[in-house]
Amino acid sequence: MATRTDNEIRELSPEEWDQRVDEQARKRLGMSGEEFERRLNAGEIDIDDSPDVTRVAMMLPLHATQK
Amino acid sequence: MPRRSKTPAEAVEHYRGRTVRLLSCVTSVHVVARAYHLSDTPHELELADTAKMHGGPLSIDVAEEYEVRQDADGWRVAILGYLYAIGYEGRELVSYHWHPSGHSPITWPHMHVAANVQVGDRWLGKVHLPTGPVGLERVVALAITELGAKPLRDDWERLIREAAAR
Repeated sequence: MATRTDNEIRELSPEEWDQRVDEQARKRLGMSGEEFERRLNAGEIDIDDSPDVTRVAMMLPLHATQK
Repeated sequence: MPRRSKTPAEAVEHYRGRTVRLLSCVTSVHVVARAYHLSDTPHELELADTAKMHGGPLSIDVAEEYEVRQDADGWRVAILGYLYAIGYEGRELVSYHWHPSGHSPITWPHMHVAANVQVGDRWLGKVHLPTGPVGLERVVALAITELGAKPLRDDWERLIREAAAR
């Protein structure tokens, strides 16, 4: 077994990151990233509702999910 | 001895390097990170997608939130939250969560297990089982040493030891 090289890191701009959040929210939860963030912050969605909810919520900056 | 850096950028570089090396023990899926800016806090880093691990129907998913802090010895990265999940045959088997901000009253590190057991009116799989903070290196080690994931690099034990000692 040969030692492999390290995995690649792709750095995303804030705009690209927002786009990624939107894509993941649509793929995993069937809603836009904006709607997900709004509903999460309104308490309509609990971060522990499902593995997919937790996963997308973890992509949001912490300040976006502050109480 | 935790590693300290001379600058915030160097601390982030060390942190990212450690994380991708750990993940490269079990997957070749790339990592995505929000571009680092000194004024932005906190930051996110995650696997681009749930990744199949070599050696069976196991998968892994990882997301971390972090910030750079300065102390008397220099700069270091502190983990502010995480999600580490191991799947089996397409379903989540066990996950380690820490999401101290937000609306959830569960602000302490916890885990979920995919146990189809009813406890009163709750399912064990929805119960937040308390843990201490869990490092990514322990999850990678769990996958390899106890769940049968095949390591993709031959220095995986060293990488796990080094990460645990940080």
